[in-house]
Amino acid sequence: MEQLMADLKKQIIEQLNLQEVTPESIGNDEPLFKEGLGLDSIDALELIVLLQQHYNIRIANPEQGPEIFYSIRSMAEFIVAQQTAKA
Amino acid sequence: MLSIYINGAGCISPQETAAGGPMLANLREYEQVKLATVDPDYKQWIDVKQIRRMSRVVKMGVGAANLSLQAAGIAMPDAIVTGTAYGCLDDTGVFLTKMVNQQEEMLTPTAFIQSTHNTVGGQIALLLGCNAYNNTFVHRGFSFENALLDTIMMLREGSAQQILVGGLDELTPHSYQILSRFGLYKKEPVKTMELLNSPTCGTIAGEGAAFFTLGVQPGTNTAAELTGISTLYKPMWEGEVIGHIMKFLEDNNYTPNDIDLLVTGRNGDIGQDEIYEEVVEALFPEHPEASFKHLCGEYPTAVGFGMWLANGILADQAVPEAAMFYGQAPRRIKKILLYNHHQGTHHSLVLLSHVE
Repeated sequence: MEQLMADLKKQIIEQLNLQEVTPESIGNDEPLFKEGLGLDSIDALELIVLLQQHYNIRIANPEQGPEIFYSIRSMAEFIVAQQTAKA
Repeated sequence: MLSIYINGAGCISPQETAAGGPMLANLREYEQVKLATVDPDYKQWIDVKQIRRMSRVVKMGVGAANLSLQAAGIAMPDAIVTGTAYGCLDDTGVFLTKMVNQQEEMLTPTAFIQSTHNTVGGQIALLLGCNAYNNTFVHRGFSFENALLDTIMMLREGSAQQILVGGLDELTPHSYQILSRFGLYKKEPVKTMELLNSPTCGTIAGEGAAFFTLGVQPGTNTAAELTGISTLYKPMWEGEVIGHIMKFLEDNNYTPNDIDLLVTGRNGDIGQDEIYEEVVEALFPEHPEASFKHLCGEYPTAVGFGMWLANGILADQAVPEAAMFYGQAPRRIKKILLYNHHQGTHHSLVLLSHVE
């Protein structure tokens, strides 16, 4: 889980071209949207594509979005759950 | 007729034009066939959270627009008008490349959203919080000129008092590669200060953004009045250009003798510069002449750099040595005629007068 969260931070920084942000500066439980990293709705679309590209996971129910993308940890937990279900 | 003044100008170019201070004081000389802008620190105008989505041309535009507004002492213009031939090419390239590489699957929205031609005008408006008129002209070699025309018409009809207008284009590896196939550029690197005497075809590629705050009242630092502008598309022969210039001057109640300085868009392409020779010989044989494309490179809205230079010359009452092409500028420079053409098809004239 720790390695997955570290990977996610690097991938998010690259995909969203976050400047002056390092993986170390993103907290595992910090909110990604609004007050945390300050991401917005366009970034949400980028994160959906990120999950498809890197983890081959499609989000079937868009209403789950806020819950899945709340933090790095919630994203990692979602990925692990999906991979476990597939296995 | 209502006078229109250049109350502020801002330029980002392959020269250090965004740094302030005396014009072209730190001349950048190159020996290459493509020139890139000297970028200022854009974070002085753009929040770090917003800058991450902006391509170079968007940052250029926002930077030059801010420089122009700062020079004019204006926080909020009554309208924003931009002209660009190529628009946001880099993001277009990113988007199209992803479409091909990913077989139209899993495409991200950012590059697509930012790839439209009016992105720059939109981003300037968003950053300023300006909900007023916002328009972008995409007319190849007349993009900037038509943005200027729109601005002039709005000011003259009284629907705005201060308008931010600019022209900009970027050069990307893709665009350079494609445009090179048309034989637009020189085959070998050339020293920029020797470009205008080059005996070969082709020029050097360039890019940049030039913005102006135009108003119906002069500001405290205003140096130039935009007296007139005219365009001529695909003239049949040199005589048509010469006749057009004569008519333009007559329409403004001038003769060639009233022009103190000619600023031309010579670009070092022996084929394309011929028309400047013809015009000079016919109308301005003894006039001092300055040029600008050896400083900024060739691009469809390069005339914006020329207008920025002409405005600066009127403000300083001196021509930077690096820009002088022929003769010596007079001690007092009251009227400047800027004559430019792009690709031999898009010819334009801009007449500027000194504001005492």
